[in-house]
Amino acid sequence: MRRVGIWLIAVALLSVLAACSGSPSSAPGGSTAGTAQTPSAEPAKGETVELVMYSWRPEDKEAYAKFIAAFEQLHPNIKVSFKPFKSTEYNTILSNSLTAGSGVDIVQLRPYSGTTSIADAGYLLPLDDVKGVQDIPKAYLDAARGSDQKVYGVPLSINSAVIFYNPKLFADNGLQPPRTWDELLQVCKALQAKGIVPIAQAGKAAYLLSITHSVIGTSAYGGNEYVEKLLSGEATLTDAFFKESIRRMQELAPFFPPDFIAIDDKDAQVLFSTGKAAMYINGSYRLETFEKQNPDLPIDILPGLAKEQGGDTPIINWVDGAYGIAKATKHPDEAKAFMEFLASREFGQMFSDDLSRLSAITGVTPKHPLVQKVAQLSDKSMVPFLMLVHFGEGTPTTKTTFEDSLQGMYIGKLTVDKVAEDTQASAGKWFKPKK
Amino acid sequence: MPVMEKSSEVQRKTSGSRRGSWKKHLVHLFLLPALLFYVWFQVYPIFSAFLNSFFSWDGLRRSSFIGLENFVRLFTESPYKEFFFRGLGHNVIFFIGIVLSKLVVAFILALFINSKIRGKEFFKMVIFMPKLLSVIVVGFLFSLILNPTYGALNTFLKFIGLEEWARPWLGSPDTALYTVILVNSWYGLGFAVLIFLAGLQAIPAEIYDAAKIDGASGLTMLWRMTVPLAMPSIMVMTILSFIGAFETFELIFAMQGSQAGPYYSTDVLATYFYRLAFGTVAGGESIGLGSALAVVLFLMISSATAILLFFFRRKEYEQ
Repeated sequence: MRRVGIWLIAVALLSVLAACSGSPSSAPGGSTAGTAQTPSAEPAKGETVELVMYSWRPEDKEAYAKFIAAFEQLHPNIKVSFKPFKSTEYNTILSNSLTAGSGVDIVQLRPYSGTTSIADAGYLLPLDDVKGVQDIPKAYLDAARGSDQKVYGVPLSINSAVIFYNPKLFADNGLQPPRTWDELLQVCKALQAKGIVPIAQAGKAAYLLSITHSVIGTSAYGGNEYVEKLLSGEATLTDAFFKESIRRMQELAPFFPPDFIAIDDKDAQVLFSTGKAAMYINGSYRLETFEKQNPDLPIDILPGLAKEQGGDTPIINWVDGAYGIAKATKHPDEAKAFMEFLASREFGQMFSDDLSRLSAITGVTPKHPLVQKVAQLSDKSMVPFLMLVHFGEGTPTTKTTFEDSLQGMYIGKLTVDKVAEDTQASAGKWFKPKK
Repeated sequence: MPVMEKSSEVQRKTSGSRRGSWKKHLVHLFLLPALLFYVWFQVYPIFSAFLNSFFSWDGLRRSSFIGLENFVRLFTESPYKEFFFRGLGHNVIFFIGIVLSKLVVAFILALFINSKIRGKEFFKMVIFMPKLLSVIVVGFLFSLILNPTYGALNTFLKFIGLEEWARPWLGSPDTALYTVILVNSWYGLGFAVLIFLAGLQAIPAEIYDAAKIDGASGLTMLWRMTVPLAMPSIMVMTILSFIGAFETFELIFAMQGSQAGPYYSTDVLATYFYRLAFGTVAGGESIGLGSALAVVLFLMISSATAILLFFFRRKEYEQ
């Protein structure tokens, strides 16, 4: 009996060791990369190839069925299987798939550091030579580069952080849409006096707070000028300007719904879409959500605030995701054909029209008047979403530290100064100013 | 001749026992699939976490061997140490909270059901019912019930005139952790009642009769007889609650998200581990740190469980 036990343990240990030898350390750029382009992996002529595509947008499934059908019509030998996952679980699922080195061909990539880290780990194919990629504006391609400056993703859409407002509620109460910080405060006070929630802000998910900060805080810290100084090391996140932007967040709290730190974004959306709240701050992607929730809702969009009366109202933008090719794919040529399609104006137009989003592809004119408005504002004055575009690294990321600290400020655990200090301390660990 | 007879008898016996041992070995062979599953899904992950915790990570890639550096960073470097000790503190509160709000209540309920009352089965069923739901469903339901805007609890409190009691249960750092503990206790109450009930029903009725004849009061019987004799079930539930409290994750994740808000007021070691290991797209350097935390958590739970077992067993022998 003892001997059998020893044999069983030996077999078990051998299987463990076998599994360990295939651990992630050997996967990237190594064996999996090697299999990626072996001739045996090429399909025989006329054989249909299936590409598996991951996304974090289950809500776009219907639209993608249409996009993919258009692609499959152009490439009858390629079938694309769209597999969306819950956004909050996507990172883990993607990491596991890439580590395993199989199962996915096309991956949706988080922008900026999200793409860079995966590209640097050797899990993606460079796409610089894919037709159409180089026509995409450089600033957008920057969201999908590796540290080697090669492009690893076709940028998908441009998101803008905006203030959605209900023009009917404003008109009924004799109010004008605010353009500056002072005007915003006055409007909020007037709305509150009428029993209307001025801003439907949720705080349970802390990321919503940094979006709001980007909209109302940009004019406080001085927009692109400050961003440039920050990137070159001349300014820090503890500077008075940046603290002022945090102070604005604190001053705005009385105009958010009661106990907003305990409510979900969905609750905030309901407050706005039912007309109980006059404003709602989030990404422009919520436009489609509201139009689905309440097609009769009077809705308009405001960009960030101007520094002073008559000044520019900047719009806060960022590239929201890109599509790349997993290096371990057995069908790199077919995957590149799909990338070419994603980089085409045809896809960009379909994407913008069907999902009411701003496409990253040059030459696409949005059909939706509000998306058109966002596009025009972007052409006029654009500031990147500071935390996402430039401070998305670290463990936890500086962006996360900032968001959580804002949450800490709202529940009375942190002061404005401490929020700035904690954020700077996080950035200080990894951020290297550009010389 | 007698010698030959003896030797053939020995031979017979030996071959018989060999056949017997082969049968025994065959039985072990049937254990192989289960053992492989166990090794693959239990032993291997633990083993690989141990291994990964000794390496530095470059994105998703395991790079160089760094010995105990991940462990040192976890306990000495900001913000890891703050997260670790805050999470650990919350785990301890979680355990104490569960003992007070689940085990004590469950024991009282079990005593109540074990007494000669009508409708025992009905009570058992009602108390056990929450356990039939998934933790995630429970988390979701309570998020709705506790919603400060339209949640049933605050609406009810306002309705009965206790408006000043209405509060953002999950949105305030003063109440969030305790609220989650209470939901956890509500969910697991039925299981604890069943275990205690089994323990109480195993106590022979005669000893109570004897104690009554000797003039023992109800409270004396409870303290001197029921509690000590139900000690094995109390031991099992305390150890299970300890393990549960230190590996709690799903309910917090469902109710407060992976950030265990507001501002980490419900953060425990498991939610911290989740963020550390899987919080960023590529895992970053944090896979090594996350593995180190998983190892620490494993060692903490297993050693504390062993100590608790030792302590309870000694208590049992003493009695």
